[in-house]
Amino acid sequence: MRHKFFIHSWRPALAIMIFIGIWELSARIFAIETWILPAPSVIAAEMREVLPAFLPHMFSTIKLVLIGFTFGTTIGLIMGTLFHHFDRVRETVYPFLIISQNIPIIVLAPLLLIWFGLGDTPKMIIVAMTSFFPIAVATLSGLQQTDRELLHYMKMMGASKRQLFAKLELPHALPSIFSGIKISATYSVMTGVVAEWLGAQKGIGVFMTLASSSYRTPRVFVAIIMTMLLSLTFFAMIALLERLFIRWNREEKGA
Amino acid sequence: MKRFIQMTLIGLISVALTACGGAQPDTQNNQGTAGKSVSLFLDWTPNTNHTGIYVAKEKGFYKDAGIDVEVLLPGEVSAEQLVATGKGEFGISFQNHVTQARAQGLPVVSIAAVIQHDTSGYASPVEKGIESPKDFAGKTYGAYGSELEKSMVNFVMQQDGADVKDVNIVQLGNSDFFVATKRDIDFVSIFYGWTGIEAELRDVKLNFIKTTDYAKDYDVYSPVIVTSEKLISEDPETVQAFVEATAKGYQFAIENPAEAADILIAAEPDLNPDLVKKSQEWLSPRYQDDAPQWGIQESKRWEAFADFLFKEGIIEKEVDATQAFTNQFIENIKK
Repeated sequence: MRHKFFIHSWRPALAIMIFIGIWELSARIFAIETWILPAPSVIAAEMREVLPAFLPHMFSTIKLVLIGFTFGTTIGLIMGTLFHHFDRVRETVYPFLIISQNIPIIVLAPLLLIWFGLGDTPKMIIVAMTSFFPIAVATLSGLQQTDRELLHYMKMMGASKRQLFAKLELPHALPSIFSGIKISATYSVMTGVVAEWLGAQKGIGVFMTLASSSYRTPRVFVAIIMTMLLSLTFFAMIALLERLFIRWNREEKGA
Repeated sequence: MKRFIQMTLIGLISVALTACGGAQPDTQNNQGTAGKSVSLFLDWTPNTNHTGIYVAKEKGFYKDAGIDVEVLLPGEVSAEQLVATGKGEFGISFQNHVTQARAQGLPVVSIAAVIQHDTSGYASPVEKGIESPKDFAGKTYGAYGSELEKSMVNFVMQQDGADVKDVNIVQLGNSDFFVATKRDIDFVSIFYGWTGIEAELRDVKLNFIKTTDYAKDYDVYSPVIVTSEKLISEDPETVQAFVEATAKGYQFAIENPAEAADILIAAEPDLNPDLVKKSQEWLSPRYQDDAPQWGIQESKRWEAFADFLFKEGIIEKEVDATQAFTNQFIENIKK
């Protein structure tokens, strides 16, 4: 598996190198001003310079995103499961969830700051709020796509509701649940950064605000690149977890 | 039936889309006069800092000068960046923004000072007990998100024997002064002419520490009107026409605060009329203040502030302050 990964990864790596090469060249040839679009070499130099100052901001964002995302995932899983088991709850609550996803963060953040103060709580709520929804939806649809015949079969054998859920529905829903988690993970870092940008003491969002208010475009790019790296790492971790879980799932089924 | 609903929905959406798309050309047609059309980006939502521009528009001063000015809000992009890249001809900015922008290579130039002396200061509800800068120690400052703020708070505190390291600085983001100080924030930098007046109207008792009482040498021009170096060298006639008409607008606002306020209220009906009227009354005598003419800027104030930014490490290279502004257009105004 690992093998294949390295063999296949040369393509995207080459593509990124070519992209950066073209960017660097055109920045030099057309003499693009740094404050409009800095060349990759300028960004790299800036990164070396500001990294020590940047790290505390990044750790603050990581903490915020991890906690918010964990809450969001837990809530999403619980909601999805509840909706699957209790139709009335689903009918009553589902519309509220959809509405909750339509509140623009840009107006919600200041309100949360008034309600919960300027600590980490309001930002964690924003991350949790945006990350639970894809997971709840994916969990629900995963659970509802259980093989009807197997379900029927297990019922005939006298399986209890709990057994049905643990042995059949949940393992079958895992791929779907993980797609939901992956979608959420991808967005949660960005959401965290935006939330910080709307009011915080530390974090990538604050760093970005300071950089852009002083017209330091290279610094803005440093923040963008670090945000992307963070997102990718986060995604890779979830993908790894998925592989572990689903393999375990397959093995158990095979046995 | 299902199909019918589908078709209706598609129909509605396409109508909505075409309506949105069609709105822009219409507004442009309405203003389609013979004049050269230029755009001006505001720094923030419209307020009494901008009255002269609204007056010049409404009274036809721009039209008489042969230009057609469209006033726009920049949103999250800064007016300086839009002007520097030529997306707009003019913008409302501040001396500190212009200096920082020029240090990063943005070719923006201040062509007129809207208000002669800095009207900003550190405001806090009286309950917080902040009467002088040394009281900032142990308190929380709500920042707008610029590196300069910390240095300025520090400078002001040092004049009063305290240090910024004892202040907790938090980015305010989108929260306004009144909302922010209700909770964890203790003091915020405000412009008296707008937020201070708003506090008077709301009957919120404020402690207001004027920045220039402690930082006399850093009396920054805020706001200023900016344009790009390119426009100044390629089309100085347009800049001249714009500055003349704008100066006339502010002159009118200086002489007729009440009428000027009404013009701003009519143009921006979402503003609180009581606030605009009271703010205008406060601000009108301050546009020109003790200067020989509205809009004039002094070299020594630009130099002192650029030095301060450099010393504080907020800008990495020294900015030639004499290039950052020009009085040529103000001085060329025909009397």
